Amino acid sequence: MTAKAGLKLGVSLHSFTSEYITYKWSLEDMLQLVSVLGGGVEIVGPSHQRGYPYLTNEFERIFKSSIERWGLTPTSYGTYADPFMLKERDLNDDEMVDYIVPQLKSAAQLGFTIARLQYFSYTVAERLLPWAEKLNLKMGYELHVPLMIKSEKTQTLIEQIERIDSPYLGLIPDTGIFAHSIPEFCLANLRAAGVSEELVQRAVVLWNARTPNHEALQELLKLGLRKENIGTVERLWGSFGQSEPEELKEILPRVIHMHGKFFSMKDGVEPNIRFEEVTKVLVENGYDGWMSSEYEGQGDVDTFELVREQQAMIRRFQQKYQPR
Amino acid sequence: MPNQQSIPSSGQELPAGVRAILAHTGKSRTFLCEETIRNAVRHGVAGFELNVNLTSYRALPLSCIEGLILKVDGRDVDVSGAQLVLNGTAYPFADLASLSAVWWFILDPATLFVPSPSPLARGDHRVDATLITVEPYVTAGRFSFYHPASRTLAVESASD
Repeated sequence: MTAKAGLKLGVSLHSFTSEYITYKWSLEDMLQLVSVLGGGVEIVGPSHQRGYPYLTNEFERIFKSSIERWGLTPTSYGTYADPFMLKERDLNDDEMVDYIVPQLKSAAQLGFTIARLQYFSYTVAERLLPWAEKLNLKMGYELHVPLMIKSEKTQTLIEQIERIDSPYLGLIPDTGIFAHSIPEFCLANLRAAGVSEELVQRAVVLWNARTPNHEALQELLKLGLRKENIGTVERLWGSFGQSEPEELKEILPRVIHMHGKFFSMKDGVEPNIRFEEVTKVLVENGYDGWMSSEYEGQGDVDTFELVREQQAMIRRFQQKYQPR
Repeated sequence: MPNQQSIPSSGQELPAGVRAILAHTGKSRTFLCEETIRNAVRHGVAGFELNVNLTSYRALPLSCIEGLILKVDGRDVDVSGAQLVLNGTAYPFADLASLSAVWWFILDPATLFVPSPSPLARGDHRVDATLITVEPYVTAGRFSFYHPASRTLAVESASD
């Protein structure tokens, strides 16, 4: 693996979920596609690893075979904390450690150098750290909506990271926190699910006003939102946040990886996410690491072409702002 | 300049292997597989079975399967004795809540067995099914996602 400095591009296989779960593209197919999409590969443990959270010899061989054949770099492995997997209660700390450690071992054995943590892992981070050091695996909390940079949760994570001050614990911002608007297709999905126009418009107003998820849901339920539509509405709050790209500068020394979340492309630009400003902050401040393209828009589109277009956009911004 | 691996710019020829992959086709996916319904007997219990998909993007432990609503030809079907057959092992729906160590992998269709006093007639049947699941990490906590699916599925042979 060459370790040249600067912003490097790759793909999260999560981008190809639609093609993968409809058996259009196998794991091996997707890995081959990454060879022409920057070369950095990120996987989602429970989506792509048969046997998750444990690593089988068979999966290791399948994965590494493609990595070697196509000259790819495993970048970040998506771990899960899944605190609500039990029906009767939340996982306790011991159970969470027992669940995450095999994932860290899987990641390291597969050649990843970074493990994405969900923020729920916060309570056990200090118990995971010795494993991260032993496995030489950097762990990073994903700053995914609703973990905007200035949110209380994120600030708590940053305090912990500063206190522990280890190269094995950092942050992985997801560009979904740098949205300035909700894509139109998301609102169309609400309407298609039977949510009334009045509730759709109210949801947009609440989102624009940065109303917290819980409060917004409560108000919408009061206004008549049906419980089977909670999931659809939750997606707005679960996908789009409004952090300022400038705020990324303050946390950059702790950023170990980036998720280049995007939802659509129009005329060579992502219309809802502030990629130009984000890329500007990264390259002007010497970010040295990967950004995984992570498409999470509608299905039934040419995802491969969208990722190519998004990476071309990032590269364009990168060249525009690269200090000479 | 930073290291950048080659990304063919638009219009540039892609490797033949990549073009072949891009030409693949998939199949439509909902909770209900587009396959037949079969009348069946499992451990002495008569009923019918059909193949089903997990309605997520990732593997889930069976404890995240919250429930099932099923109608055949517009009539509610009692699913209290239903079983989910995963990689050859049958799990009663009533037990799923406690099976947090059994994983349903996203690429593995399962078989749903539903006890039924009388066999389904040969021919087409309208099946409406909703799988209720939990995505065990969403920030709002543990709540249910409803995944409705409808298909017309055929019984190809009469009860055996």
